[in-house]
Amino acid sequence: MNNLEKYINAFAESLEVAPDQVPALKYGESDQWDSVGHMSLIAALEDAFDIMIDMDDIIDLSSFEKGKEILGKYDVEL
Amino acid sequence: MLLQGKNALITGAARGIGAAMVEVFAREGANVWAFARRPDDAFEMRLAETAQRYGVWIRPVYCELSDTAAIKEAFRQVMADRQPLHVLVNNAGVMGEDRMFQMTSEQEMRQLFDVNFFAMVEVSRLATRLMARNKQGAVVNIASIAGLDGDSRLDYSASKAAVIAATKKMARELISVGIRVNALAPGFTDTDLVRGLSEKVVREQTEKILMKRKARPEEIANVAAFLASDMASYVTAQVWRADGGIL
Repeated sequence: MNNLEKYINAFAESLEVAPDQVPALKYGESDQWDSVGHMSLIAALEDAFDIMIDMDDIIDLSSFEKGKEILGKYDVEL
Repeated sequence: MLLQGKNALITGAARGIGAAMVEVFAREGANVWAFARRPDDAFEMRLAETAQRYGVWIRPVYCELSDTAAIKEAFRQVMADRQPLHVLVNNAGVMGEDRMFQMTSEQEMRQLFDVNFFAMVEVSRLATRLMARNKQGAVVNIASIAGLDGDSRLDYSASKAAVIAATKKMARELISVGIRVNALAPGFTDTDLVRGLSEKVVREQTEKILMKRKARPEEIANVAAFLASDMASYVTAQVWRADGGIL
């Protein structure tokens, strides 16, 4: 599984959505990605890429695309 | 054994109740990350002996809890072990000498809150993210009866009241990822924190207790082990007093 697949998988498993729905996801705009889902997502991303995401980035991670940008700061290439 | 196969992180593990917790948790089958403030050969030797005695691993992790960056670095060490985290005990705390609030500076109060409250929140934030990966966990926050009764110095009592309120809020938020959060409120316990108190204060405090004695640290650690264990699987958002009977 490459990094992009791991990234999509983290969203799909933690938010319980189909992988093809993941790219359109935005925080707060679906029932799945609420504050509880966000916590599960962060845990899943940290687990998948073995990183520790800073609090500011946790707050900023508001969409699938934004998440890619943020993971770049942790040397995760997608 | 109450904690067989569990991995626990205990802060303030070098002395007092925290040291007793390491012993009790190991006795009950838990592996332990023992957080302490600074490297100490005697501490490490004690951990090694305890680990050997009970057939578990115990790793010292050194961290100044008033430093957020240091807490993160300590968690990197925990993560590097690649073991799931099942239990967090937020035990580290400071008290300071008994003093009226009119005689306590704002700076002293802030420093006390840094350790007793803000460090507890930061450690909990990082630890529960690790626990959330497995959708299970237990947090035991060591508060104090002072946080309920307000009978210690103002900043200490207030910081422990904050721990209790935080416990209830954390429990509400974290149950969705299978994490239980409880507070343990010890009473008068025989640790360094109370050994600095005057004889008069010790006499007055002891007189209020039905058992007419201080708690031994292991008596508090035993309750923490229960709250951390699956035996307490239906217990969350509670404050458990262990005070020898104060009515």
